[in-house]
Amino acid sequence: MPEKPKIALFQCRWCLYAPADQEWVDTQLPENIHLTKTPCTGRINPLYVLNAVQGGADGVMISGCLPEQCHFKTGNMAARRQLEEFNDFLDYIGYDKQRVRFVWLDLQDRGIIQKQLAAFEQELDDLGPASNLVTRVKVAEGGQNA
Amino acid sequence: MSLPFNSNLAEQVKAIPGGEMLMMCFSCGTCTSKCMVQEKLEPNYNPRRLIREAVFNFEETAFADETTWLCTACDLCYPACPQKIHISGVITAVKQLAVAQGHQNPYQTAKVDEATCVACGLCESVCPYTAIKLVEKKVPFRGMITVASVDPGKCMACGMCTAACRSTSIRLNQDFTDNEVLENLWGWLEREAV
Amino acid sequence: MVDAARQPLIEVKAYTEVEKVEGFVGNFKVTLRERAKYVRADRCNGCAACAKACPVEVPNYFEMNLAPRKAAYIPMSQSVPLIYNIDMDACIHCYKCVEACGALEAIDFSMEDKVIEEDIGAIVVATGFGHFDPTPMTEYGYGRYPNVITAMEMERLNNSAGATHGMVVRPSDNRRPQRLAIINCVGSRDKRYNSSCSNFCCMYAIKNALLLKQMNPDMDISIYYIDIRTPGKGYEEFYDRAREAGIKFIQGRPAEITEDPDSHQLFIKSEDITLGRVIEHEYDLVMLNQAAIPQPDQDHMSSVLNVAQSPGGWFMEYHPKLRPIDSPTDGIFFAGACQGPKDIPASVAQGSAAAARASRILHSDTWQIEPTVAVVWPDRCVSGKGQACGICERACPYGAIDYTKGLSAEVITAKCHGCGACVGECPHDSITQLHYTDAQVLAQIRTLLAVEPEKKILAFRCQWCSYGGADLAGTSHFEYSANERGLRVMCSARMDADLIYESYRLGAGAILYSGCHPQDCHYITGQVAGAKRAARLDKMFARMGMTPGRFRTEWISAAEGDKYARVINEMQATLDKIPESELQAEIDRLKPEMEKKLTKMNEIPGVEEAMIQVDFIVNEMQNKAVTV
Repeated sequence: MPEKPKIALFQCRWCLYAPADQEWVDTQLPENIHLTKTPCTGRINPLYVLNAVQGGADGVMISGCLPEQCHFKTGNMAARRQLEEFNDFLDYIGYDKQRVRFVWLDLQDRGIIQKQLAAFEQELDDLGPASNLVTRVKVAEGGQNA
Repeated sequence: MSLPFNSNLAEQVKAIPGGEMLMMCFSCGTCTSKCMVQEKLEPNYNPRRLIREAVFNFEETAFADETTWLCTACDLCYPACPQKIHISGVITAVKQLAVAQGHQNPYQTAKVDEATCVACGLCESVCPYTAIKLVEKKVPFRGMITVASVDPGKCMACGMCTAACRSTSIRLNQDFTDNEVLENLWGWLEREAV
Repeated sequence: MVDAARQPLIEVKAYTEVEKVEGFVGNFKVTLRERAKYVRADRCNGCAACAKACPVEVPNYFEMNLAPRKAAYIPMSQSVPLIYNIDMDACIHCYKCVEACGALEAIDFSMEDKVIEEDIGAIVVATGFGHFDPTPMTEYGYGRYPNVITAMEMERLNNSAGATHGMVVRPSDNRRPQRLAIINCVGSRDKRYNSSCSNFCCMYAIKNALLLKQMNPDMDISIYYIDIRTPGKGYEEFYDRAREAGIKFIQGRPAEITEDPDSHQLFIKSEDITLGRVIEHEYDLVMLNQAAIPQPDQDHMSSVLNVAQSPGGWFMEYHPKLRPIDSPTDGIFFAGACQGPKDIPASVAQGSAAAARASRILHSDTWQIEPTVAVVWPDRCVSGKGQACGICERACPYGAIDYTKGLSAEVITAKCHGCGACVGECPHDSITQLHYTDAQVLAQIRTLLAVEPEKKILAFRCQWCSYGGADLAGTSHFEYSANERGLRVMCSARMDADLIYESYRLGAGAILYSGCHPQDCHYITGQVAGAKRAARLDKMFARMGMTPGRFRTEWISAAEGDKYARVINEMQATLDKIPESELQAEIDRLKPEMEKKLTKMNEIPGVEEAMIQVDFIVNEMQNKAVTV
């Protein structure tokens, strides 16, 4: 059986309004998906994405609140500015742009995160594993190799 | 518990811009059921109750209420309120009064490492709450220099400053650190790689 | 309704629109447009053969679009009169209906709209209310979630003659719902949409819940509410019955409905106020109890009938407490929810009262009206001398003045309501108002300002609001400056600029120009005219260099006694701040300016001359007494 693509999921702790969805993400994520809950998408340091890429993740998904619904007023917008820019850079050095995805969830969305993850997994499957940037070297705070 | 007649909290809140509509609340509970803090962080969080406390001048209860300190002014409740009360405005007003009376924010806030801060101002520009300012102050071993400074009365611990900082000099003091996140992430990556 | 149609003295004109209402009490000329039904009323026997034959299906409005109807249709099975109708927008002209109708030959495609004019003595308006469309409230997902329905849709689902023959089903999968939520106050008590309470929806929600519970005893029904309002006889008992029947009442207005995209199950998260906790419940079906709002064409009807609208858009009654059935126009009455949301007993009571009030007119040969009507001095009206004017006609909120160039303006006395707007606007002082003639008002002003006028605050008050406000200030013992001198006219529109100039000329210290709030005006748009004039005067006095605050405009309702007292006290404080000598100097300085403005004053007759004129007019009126 071919290996499932590895997805690093960064989720802002506010964006899943429905308790059932949050519970699913917290407890029932499959092994190939790793959840990192952040206080806000704006807290996602590009460093995390870089580490995920270098560590061999096939895709990175960032789920946050819709614009205007950010818990911290403008956090999601700041995140988009920062991470889209970083994504362009990743694309330039050879990490396919499609592998980093933003999902903005509306308050009323229920059962959407599962569907989005499944669709993303399917697309990553089609793209195949990402290996060209895998260094297996941990990059720590301040840019030093740990 | 008897009504505190010696307080005029309601009048004070109404005098602060944003708190004017305080008395219009008819306690429908829409704000509470819309609130993310209540949903995700603190089940006891309740804007409706805080408004009630302010209306009846329960000053001490209001200042000690987690609602006063945890509201991040995301304003999800404002467009939902049938009485068009700017609820976060009311809460901010209560908080201002609490801070003015010397109450401390009991929750975590961002903290600047003054030994490494280079006063680039990135954190100041990303902060959604204008809680960060560059100030000149005396720092041990560095003399009078400009560094970033966080107003704990305004900081909501979103961590945007931490993500933006290029010298890792500003961080949330609990819960969520880069190292924790990375260790966790690598734990999974290495396990998966096997 | 069937009984009414059978009563020989009642003629039911269905599918007919009121296009124009002219005339006055007892003598209305109403233009009606009888829409073409394409079915002849004298031949159709309501057999439905045409509808059976018709191949076109369109959504059925009466069934809230839950079922289809044919292009040949009756709106509902109990329609009165029972005459079919062909919907020309949907008809494809296959003429199958003509064949089906056969020998009756009732279907006639050559019919056209008929415009007819009728003489009408009195009009009862009973146009009812409309429903708030909850689509804009995205938080409840109406229109996006199939299983969120409105109260009216539930009404049709639960009706044995309805689309599902009384089977309540979920629109998404036609399954019978086990758990139902009813959300009250959808679009009502909500300042974003309609701030008022719709009056009957609490009872309506309970009624629906009870009916559903009786039909489906195992159904779990919850009602979300802000407050349950069941005032009146038997209503609280009904509420009790619902509790007994096991219906759950949850105090807390839900902020959001979410839906599982696969099963279309609905989740309502609301704070349960009594528990103080937010709880999410799962439901199969959610009914939104939407607000009662004015009919979509209420504005249009209001201009056709020339009756005012209250804030919120409902028709405005003559007096909210003492004359709740009469419109401000004599001979037009309101029945039911067109005047404000009300339930069936209240509507029936108002309908019966309106019928009684209307029959009073129909059984009278003469009709008494308020005596404060406007009259024209024909020899002064410049229109009679060939000048173009017509200001009075434009000023009249009731269309009671006829202006034809070359003839002096004429007041249709029976239509005049005595606001005095024309009197206030006429630049030539050629209209006056009985009991409020310029001479009479001036006599009052001169008396009130006879002694130490510079210390006085002269308050012009309108009869309906600010006079009532001042009255309330007195009866409630709100203290205000004893230097206030009040003067009553019928409406702020009557407060002629000349009267203000004259008061200042006489040396008045300060003047209050007060009337109703814009939406409260008794004379439809009288306050608007008054407000315009006051704004003009304010600017002019500022230009003249009058100390700000000596002329003040305030809109004070009859319930605002405290406001009246406050305004007067504030004006007194303003006056106190001006040193006496400066005030006197200002009054003296402005006096010639006022005199300049008052050049036409000399033409105003004294009381005696006015009385002769009035006697003449009263005689005339008695001779021409209106007969029905």
